[in-house]
Amino acid sequence: MRTTRFVVLAATGVLAVTGVTACGGKTEDKATGKANAVTVKATDTACEVDVTELAAGQTSFSVTNSGSKVNEFYVYAAGDRVMGEVENIAPGLTRELRVELPAGTYETACKPGMSGRGIRGGLKVTGAAASVAPDAALTQATASYQRYVTSQTAALLTKTEEFVAAVKAGDVTKAKALYPVARTYWERIEPVAESFGDLDPKIDGREEVIEEGMEFTGFHRIEKDLWTTGDISKDGPIADQLLTDVKAIVAKANAEKLTPLQLANGAKALLDEVASGKITGEEERYSHTDLWDFNANLEGSKAAIAALRPALEQRSPDLVKQLDTEFANVEATLGKHRAGDGWKLHTALSKAELKELSDSINALAEPISKVAAVVAR
Amino acid sequence: MFATYLIGLREGLEATLVVSILVAFLVKSQRRDRLPQVWAGVGLAVVLSVFFGWLIEYTSTSLLARSEDRELFEAITSVAAVVFVTWMIFWMRKAARSIAGELRGKLSDALAVGSLAVLGMSFLAVIREGLETALIFYSAAQSAAGGAGRGPLLALIGGIATAVVIGFLIYRSALKINLSTFFTWTGALLILVAAGILKYGVHDFQEAGVLPGLNNLAFDISGVLDPSTWYAALLAGMFNITATPSVLEMLAWVAYAVPVLVLFLRKPAAPARPTAAAQPVAAPSAPAGTTTPVSSTAPAEPAAAAEATPAAPTSPVTDARQRA
Repeated sequence: MRTTRFVVLAATGVLAVTGVTACGGKTEDKATGKANAVTVKATDTACEVDVTELAAGQTSFSVTNSGSKVNEFYVYAAGDRVMGEVENIAPGLTRELRVELPAGTYETACKPGMSGRGIRGGLKVTGAAASVAPDAALTQATASYQRYVTSQTAALLTKTEEFVAAVKAGDVTKAKALYPVARTYWERIEPVAESFGDLDPKIDGREEVIEEGMEFTGFHRIEKDLWTTGDISKDGPIADQLLTDVKAIVAKANAEKLTPLQLANGAKALLDEVASGKITGEEERYSHTDLWDFNANLEGSKAAIAALRPALEQRSPDLVKQLDTEFANVEATLGKHRAGDGWKLHTALSKAELKELSDSINALAEPISKVAAVVAR
Repeated sequence: MFATYLIGLREGLEATLVVSILVAFLVKSQRRDRLPQVWAGVGLAVVLSVFFGWLIEYTSTSLLARSEDRELFEAITSVAAVVFVTWMIFWMRKAARSIAGELRGKLSDALAVGSLAVLGMSFLAVIREGLETALIFYSAAQSAAGGAGRGPLLALIGGIATAVVIGFLIYRSALKINLSTFFTWTGALLILVAAGILKYGVHDFQEAGVLPGLNNLAFDISGVLDPSTWYAALLAGMFNITATPSVLEMLAWVAYAVPVLVLFLRKPAAPARPTAAAQPVAAPSAPAGTTTPVSSTAPAEPAAAAEATPAAPTSPVTDARQRA
C-alpha cells in the first residue's frame, strides 16, 4: 500500500511540475465504503468526541474549534503513533480529518494552543472494516457470537480427537458412534469454517472433490470406509490429517471476528445447507446421519440470530417474533424424528416427512433472509 | 482572530521567503529574464493547491484526502524543495566567488540558471504548504458561508498578505545590499531556511509513519516559545524553529546546516587572485561602516540575519546595471 501511495504522490508531483493538471484520481465508490462520521467539539479546555466506539474502516472526523486558541486534532495509536492529524484549526473553523482505522484501541487528542500532550480521550475501534454504522448492540452481537464459536470449536476439537483415536485404534463401532457427534460441532459453525479457503473441502469435502483435482480426505472419506467396507486399517494418515486440519481451522475460527452482516448471512447460509445437503441426504450418503447435521445447522443458525437479537429487537421487533415462530416450527417438525439421544437415519424418513421438513425450513428461510437488510440499516 | 492571522502569516512565510530570495537573486545576478518562470511556478502551485483543495473539500476523492497522504505529500515536496534550494545556495557561493575574484563580467555565464530549476524551485516552495493553506481557506470560507462571520477568512488573508509584504521587504532590502555581501548573507540565510524545510520534511515523514521516533523529543521549550505567539509564528514560518522538535528532526537539521554552512563559507579552494583568497567576501568597493564584515562562522542569530538590513547605504551600490 505504502509504495503505491508513494507512486501516486510522486506521479502527482511530476504531473504538477510538468504542468499537466491531474484529474481527481479515483473517486471512492459510494456503495462500498461508507465512512463513519464523527463530530468533535473542541474548545480551549475541552475536547468532546461524540463517540467512543467505532466500526473499523474509513472514518471522517469533523472538528469544530469554538475556543479562542488555534487547535489541532490527533488520533493516536498505542505509543502515541499518529494515525491521523489535522492542524491549523483556527478559532471558529471546522476542519475534517479522514483516516482509515483498523480495529484496535486509540486515543483522540485536541491540542488547544498547538502544544502539550493535548486533551485525551479513548476511542475503541472494533470489527473488520464494515459499512455498517457503529452500534453498541451490533458490536455486542459480534462478541457474543465469538463466544459461541469458541465453545463449539473447543468441543469440535475434543470430539474429533476421540473420533480420530477410535479410527486409528480400528474401533469401527466407536468411530461410527462418534462420527455424527463430532460433525455436530462442525456443522454448527460451518459458515465460519467456509471462510477459510481450502481447509473446508479438506475436512468436509465429498467424493466429488476429486473432480476438482483435490484429494478425497477428511470426515467423509472415513465415513465411506466405516459404512461401506468397514475397513479403516489404512485410514490412520487420513485421520491424522483430519485432526491437523481441524486444529488449524479451530485456531483460525477463534481469531476470526465476524461482522454483524456476516452473522446474518451465515444464519441464512446454514439454512441453505440444510435444504441443499441434508434434506436430500446428499451429505451423509453412507452413514445417513443427515438429521444430526440438520439439527446442528439449525442450532448454528439460531445461535447467530440469538447473537443479533438485541440489535434486531431495537430495529425490527416484528421480524424477531416471526423468526421465533418459524424456529419453533422447524424444531417441532424435526423433533418428531428423534431416536434416543440422537436422530433417525435419513433413509428411515418417508418422502412426505422430508417434504414437511423442507417446507418448514423454507418458511424459516424467508424471515431469515430479511435479517441482513435490517442489520445493514 | 489574531490566532487565525498568525496561521496565515506562518503558512505564507514558508512559501514567500524562498520565492523572495530567489527573485532577489535573479535580479541581482542580471537574470531578470528568468522571472516569468518564477511566477509561472508560483502560479501553477497556487492553482494546483486550490484545485486539489477543492477536490478534497467538496468531492469524495480519495487522492490526498487522508491526512497521512497529505503529510507524505508535504514531506516529499519539502525534501524536493531542499534539493533545489541547496542548488541555489551553491549558485550563490559561485556568484560570491566570481565577484570576489572581480569576474563580475562573467557572472551571468557562471550562473547558467536553468529555467526548469527556477520554475521547480518556486513551484515546490509554494505547493509545499499550498494545499494545507487552501484547505484552511475552504474551511474558513465555509464557516463564513454558514453565517459564522467572515472574521477567520479575513484574518487568514491578512496573515498571508503580511507574509507577502515581509517577503517583498526582504527582497527590497536584499537589493540594497552590495553584491558580494548579498550573496554571502542571503546564501547563509537560505541555508537556515533550507535546513528548516528539511527538518519540516523529516517531521512530516514521522507523522506519516514512514520514519519512527516522532515522540522522541530533542527538547521541549514550549514554556519559552509558546507556539501561539507572533514571534513563534515568525520563527516557525521562516526557519521552522519549533518548541518541541524530535531528535531525528534536529539530527537532520544539524546534518544539513553544519556541512553546508562550512562548505558555503570556507575560503575558495582555487581563488582567481591571491588577494581575493584572503578576503573572499569583502566587497571591493564597500564603503566603511555600511556592512559588517563576514567572519567564517555561521551567524549566531538567524533572526538577526534576516533583519540585517543596513541603513541606507551612503554610496550607490554596484549592481546589475553595470555591464562588462
